[in-house]
Amino acid sequence: MKLTRPKRATQSETIVALIDVVFFLLVFFMLIGRMDATAPFEVRPPVAQTGRDMPAGGITLAIAADGALALDGDDISVADLDAALSAELERQPALRLRINAHRTAELRHVLPYVTRAEALGLRDVVLVVTPERDE
Amino acid sequence: MNLRRHAQSGPLISLVPMIDVMLILLVFFMVTSTYLNLDMIPAVRPSEDGTAQASSAPEATLMIRIGADGAMVLQGIALDPAALGQRLTLELAEEPLMQVLILPSGAAPTQSLISVMDAAALAGVQRLRVLRLEARP
Repeated sequence: MKLTRPKRATQSETIVALIDVVFFLLVFFMLIGRMDATAPFEVRPPVAQTGRDMPAGGITLAIAADGALALDGDDISVADLDAALSAELERQPALRLRINAHRTAELRHVLPYVTRAEALGLRDVVLVVTPERDE
Repeated sequence: MNLRRHAQSGPLISLVPMIDVMLILLVFFMVTSTYLNLDMIPAVRPSEDGTAQASSAPEATLMIRIGADGAMVLQGIALDPAALGQRLTLELAEEPLMQVLILPSGAAPTQSLISVMDAAALAGVQRLRVLRLEARP
């Protein structure tokens, strides 16, 4: 019987294993991570065919179907919203506010924030829409 | 006689596995990435647009009501977005400078308001105003 000794791993094969580990770590972090500030609740924006391209910058006020609020991904109460918007407006006078309301959110939970933002001095308020129907 | 010392070869790092990994990463990102296709509709226009709109008074006004159930009502007739768009197109043909007011119910879903704004924009309405509710949320 011929017993052959297994070949020793070369240096290059060791590096391949290392790269594999790094790759799987990367995949792991990508799967559990989020790349953008999203709301802590589900928000499906309304569908519109005539929306314009969304410019970069600004802050996002997400409104859930039940009226819950999140500012740039963090929960915020109605009472704290004005102060947060005012502070942001002081830092960026030309601040854009994106209102990302769930399509079934009642307008009494959406439109008053447009009025309040305007009263605070924001001159660029947009409603987020999507051109894609997902039903 | 050759007295030159052989050059010591360091650990060989092959680039081929690295390239493989990079290609896998590229394919991975391309296949698994989901892109949110988001657009926007201005709710408060920057001041220069506002002053331009305020400079000329509208010739006529048309009001669209949105009920609590999202129904769009124009002059007492409930319409779907397509019919509303056709109706607005006809009205605009007669009065190009017509102003369209939207009066939504506070209980109406956001989608219904966006649908009306969408239909108006598709019909070519230039002067569109939403009568906002002033009550605290």
